[in-house]
Amino acid sequence: MPPKAATANNTRRKAPSFKPPRPVDPAAQPSTTAKRAPTAAASRSTGAAKPPAAASNSRFQPATTIISSDEEQDDEFDLPSDLDELMQDAPEERPQARARAIAQSSPPIPPALLARLFHEHVEEKNTQITQGAMDLFGNYIGIFVREAIARAKEERSKAARSGERSGGFLQVEDLEKLAPQLVLDF
Amino acid sequence: MASTEDDLEREERLKSSLWYTIGQFVDEQSIDESFNATPQFIGALTELVYTQIANASRDLEVFSKHAGRKVVNTDDVMLLTRRNEALEMLLKQQLDAMRAAEGRDEQQQVPGAKKRGRPSGAGAVKGKGKGKQ
Repeated sequence: MPPKAATANNTRRKAPSFKPPRPVDPAAQPSTTAKRAPTAAASRSTGAAKPPAAASNSRFQPATTIISSDEEQDDEFDLPSDLDELMQDAPEERPQARARAIAQSSPPIPPALLARLFHEHVEEKNTQITQGAMDLFGNYIGIFVREAIARAKEERSKAARSGERSGGFLQVEDLEKLAPQLVLDF
Repeated sequence: MASTEDDLEREERLKSSLWYTIGQFVDEQSIDESFNATPQFIGALTELVYTQIANASRDLEVFSKHAGRKVVNTDDVMLLTRRNEALEMLLKQQLDAMRAAEGRDEQQQVPGAKKRGRPSGAGAVKGKGKGKQ
């Protein structure tokens, strides 16, 4: 995949590497990788976490997202004209693109905090971690958080359907129900 | 770990920080969608995520030690996903994307370093990753 992506991007790449992410990214995905997300987890997160993921994250750590955002994202912010061009072929593949976007959009936990937590919990104080591994770990935790919220929403709507309580607010009980399976899955 | 009072306090502060972050994240998500979360939910979620980070951190450390390394690298993170194929695929995509971006950056910034940068990165980690899965 790296070579493919690289070639796809060479044509419209002309940018400094630092660009804060914006909510538009789903549009960029279809060309290179949208087809790859058909599994359970992917579609689950598609259903639940959706576009705001990308949007909301941008506010959190604009400065640090460079590392985890991939080239499609980068490209998009280069030029408005690129954006338009990309938008044209986007619509049909949106859901899958979204799954991809979620996977690669900036994680909900700021890298600095995550690094701190990591070093807090390893047994040996001098354990080191590479930058790439840290980014990937942040991604992993990001998926974990989104998945937890998505499943909680699922639990909520189930409870609302069976008429237990009025829906709307995610409750601790929802989290209690999903936690065991969630932790097994991660 | 948190045996002394200092440790306890530090843990509390880290948790507060995480709480805040997750609260923000949930809020942002809920603005665009028709749901909301009770503060208790956010607290519980914080606790869950905190524990997950703690466990995963220790796992990562042990994985890298088992591989005879002193530095945690991306292989170790991929090993975290060994029980969930879909998750593994997502992270793999992410990893490939990161790697491609890295290669490209090096290519752009230091034209001379091109040969060294990309192949070594892609080759080394991919090979190892396959062996482990």
